[in-house]
Amino acid sequence: MSAGNARDNNWRHLDVSLVAAVLSIAAIGLIMVYSATSQKTTDPRFYLKRQLVFVAAGLGIMVLTATVDYRVYRDFAPFVYLGTVAGLGLVVSPVGASSKGHQAWFALGTFQLQPSEISKMALILVLAAYIGAHRESELNLRRLITAVILAGVPMALIMLQPDIGTDLVFGCILAAALLIGGAKPRHLAVLGVVAVLGVAGVLKSGVMQRYQVQRLTAFLDPASSGQASTYNLNQSKIAIGAGGLTGTGLGRGLQTKLSFVPEQHTDFVFTVVGEELGFVGSSLLLLLFGFVLWRIWRAAMLAKDATGTLICVGVLTLLAFQVFENVGMTMGIMPITGIPLPFVSYGGSAIVAYFLGIGLVLNVHMRRFS
Amino acid sequence: MNAENLRVRLAALGVIVVTLFAALFARLWYLQVLEAAPLRVAAQTNGVRLIYTPAPRGRILDRQGRVLVDNKLVDELTVDRAVAKKQPDLLGRLAALLSAPAKPVTIESLRLALADDRFGPLAPVPVAVVGSDVVIHVKEHPDEFPGVDISEVAERVYPHGLLAAHLLGYVGQINDTELAPRKTLGYLPGDQIGKSGIESAYESALRGKPGVTEKEVDSHGKVGATIGHEDPVQGHDVRLTIDLDIQALAEGSLDQGLQAARASYDHKGGNLFSAPAGAVVVMDPRDGSVLALASNPAYDPAQFINGIPTALFQQLEDPANNEPLTDRATSGLYAPGSNFKLITGTAALVRGLISPDTSIVDNGFIKVGGQVFHNAGASANGTVNITHAITVSSDVFFYTLGANFWNARNQYGLAIQDMAREYGLGQHTGIVIGDQAGRVPGPDTRKKLHEQNPVAFPNGQWFTGDNVNLAVGQGELVVTPLQLANAYATFANGGTVWQPRVASAVVDQNGTKISDIAPHAVRQIIYPPGTHQAMLDGFVGVVANGDGTARTAFRGFPLDRFPVAGKTGTAQVTGKQDTSVFTAFAPANAPQFVVTVFEEQAGFGASGAAPVARHILEGLGNVPGTNIIYIPANESSQTN
Repeated sequence: MSAGNARDNNWRHLDVSLVAAVLSIAAIGLIMVYSATSQKTTDPRFYLKRQLVFVAAGLGIMVLTATVDYRVYRDFAPFVYLGTVAGLGLVVSPVGASSKGHQAWFALGTFQLQPSEISKMALILVLAAYIGAHRESELNLRRLITAVILAGVPMALIMLQPDIGTDLVFGCILAAALLIGGAKPRHLAVLGVVAVLGVAGVLKSGVMQRYQVQRLTAFLDPASSGQASTYNLNQSKIAIGAGGLTGTGLGRGLQTKLSFVPEQHTDFVFTVVGEELGFVGSSLLLLLFGFVLWRIWRAAMLAKDATGTLICVGVLTLLAFQVFENVGMTMGIMPITGIPLPFVSYGGSAIVAYFLGIGLVLNVHMRRFS
Repeated sequence: MNAENLRVRLAALGVIVVTLFAALFARLWYLQVLEAAPLRVAAQTNGVRLIYTPAPRGRILDRQGRVLVDNKLVDELTVDRAVAKKQPDLLGRLAALLSAPAKPVTIESLRLALADDRFGPLAPVPVAVVGSDVVIHVKEHPDEFPGVDISEVAERVYPHGLLAAHLLGYVGQINDTELAPRKTLGYLPGDQIGKSGIESAYESALRGKPGVTEKEVDSHGKVGATIGHEDPVQGHDVRLTIDLDIQALAEGSLDQGLQAARASYDHKGGNLFSAPAGAVVVMDPRDGSVLALASNPAYDPAQFINGIPTALFQQLEDPANNEPLTDRATSGLYAPGSNFKLITGTAALVRGLISPDTSIVDNGFIKVGGQVFHNAGASANGTVNITHAITVSSDVFFYTLGANFWNARNQYGLAIQDMAREYGLGQHTGIVIGDQAGRVPGPDTRKKLHEQNPVAFPNGQWFTGDNVNLAVGQGELVVTPLQLANAYATFANGGTVWQPRVASAVVDQNGTKISDIAPHAVRQIIYPPGTHQAMLDGFVGVVANGDGTARTAFRGFPLDRFPVAGKTGTAQVTGKQDTSVFTAFAPANAPQFVVTVFEEQAGFGASGAAPVARHILEGLGNVPGTNIIYIPANESSQTN
């Protein structure tokens, strides 16, 4: 069987419904970004056009990612990992650009590259490669610690930005990889305790500014008024609640068009969905995410090898946690962190990274027989 | 790791994800379904500002639908504060434009007007009412006057000038005490509100509904699109029971009467009568409708448009100017003098102290205790019954009743005081524009007055002499002209005490009735057989008989065509000239009108008030008119 034939076969096993669901979410995202920005910029389609470019680029990356057998990536995983760590190191160095108290960007012309988004994919890949290489046995302590260190180094660099949201995502990816990779329940329990103590330590240590800690903990005490973080959270909840059952309709949300919700086309884009499309539209979006997650979960079940399963689990965890954290934050049940809503929030690096993740899942899924 | 173990672990991961999503749905349901209403309100409050336009007030009409208070549209020049702030030269150009030789406008005064916090931050601020020349200039030079606009607003206009000013009342800007209880009714600082009279009493009908414009305001305070607009709705009209012609007749007659008195010589005091003020009430005794309420001196309600200067307001309240703002018809407190004999006579007949045939010998005086009480004028009337006592105004007859009632108080109680209250004296009549309660004196009020002010009222006891004084309407008794007119209306209609009514209906601009303001009967006085006729004959005699006290005033009046009954009154006031009082009702056999006239410091009732009442009755009865003259004491047949 020639290589060309094998590839044709693989594409025949493509999960079309997953691609369709992801594109539907991205389409909703385009509409929401447009609605959030069209009345506030001189060119009403400025953000829409850029987001369209990001989605198109993401689609290309997705196809490219799916084309090359994921087992090839597995073999290159160490290099991908080292490159990522180097990038994260650079971004906190004087080379990186600072924005709103975070140093998380490379400026590339009019676009900004955010390595932490790409690094999530790198972490998924390296953990899948390392843990998946020894599927037969249970994950012993030495290998577990190695895995924790593999995740810990980039997490430490991200903490320097500081970006606790991305660290939380890393933590979740690590935990899921260990769980599915066969770690003993006892080890997982100990790690859980260490993680809780670690988060508490970070909050107390002074690594983060006071306002950043307040932003994180504002949702626990919504009554504490006067803080900017509480104001943002209130405006966010008002926007979602004002949508009611069916929403105000596109372009008619008062909170949205009068700019009462900050960061509305990026981190708080779900408030546009909530206000303008209401409970019906919000539920539809969440159900689409649910469908995507189910297809990825199914791909993890069907994967040919442990690496494939772990790749799918990594992407699943990444998307599930980000949706929960982002939507939860806009509704006041999760802390406010700079985590975008996958495929919906405006932002190139994130969009491309999530499409890359979907590309990996498609890759694993369509090679489940080969 | 075996496949089974992997499946279990993947299932665990699935359960965690499903749980997280369930939490999201629960929260979403809470915010968008359970909490949607308050959060929607919060979004509205955030992003929508309301700008109000006042509604034109309803009109006030007379009983025939003739307009007594109207609105006119005036052009008001408004300035947008935000634009004025950005355009430093604007106020200078405006000041130059608005300045007139007589009334200079400065940048400072404009700045002061713009700082008026009664107007919301977005509402254009009115700075002046302007003429058409300014309107044209501003509209032709929009580039010179950015943010300047002209809006038409309704302003009160009084087509009959000072006519019925007290009754109609005036409109002014709402103050804090008026605003506090009305917030729920949608009143805002800067709103106009009826301050007195009909304007105040029927405020809710007249006010109308302000227009509202909803404007979007973003998180930076920038004003955006208009998202809603409701035009103002003009208030309803109020149709009065007042008749424009009768009101004008009453006011004109009173004014002439007072002028005539001022030109006449007071033999008692040795100088002219000052006759500074007076009041006239004309009522329909059949249902308590007020046909005219006149109070002199009057004021011009137009002075209150756009706010009255404090100094001018103080002038209107100043006793030195005879308090033109006071409505003497409803709030002037006067001793009624012999006009009170209606009450004393009714008490004596109803309680059975006397019968219509009971006679008393009037020798011109009686002695009560150690005190001698004379008839005014010291005339002796001989043997008199109730009818004749009314006609000639025999004080001795009523002195005797007062003394006898007090001496038999164990049997009758305070019969005169009780009957006074039956007739509605000593209490508010319930007229919608408000009035004074007056005072019916007795042992209780005497005691209270003494306790409150021992210097002015050194005596805390009530003696026979006090009851004697009360029986002829003197002493501490005070009534309002409206109360007295209403008491005679009660007698005239056979005993029904009506609540005086000044308005009959609320109607819309097309005249369609919105609601009725019905007459309201308060109580009934029952006259034993023969007693009403006995008194009525006495009142008819006052104007018709050769010895009637007002026969001179009604000389030549066609009583056969328009029979009149009446009663004179002359009330002594310490330190002042006598109050001249006259009340009449006509036609005497089936009364349609009651006319009460009070003239302060104008001498005998027969001299000053009776000719005024005659002139009004001539108009009411459509009989040939005569000039109002003052009848000197020696010519007026009467005494009190």
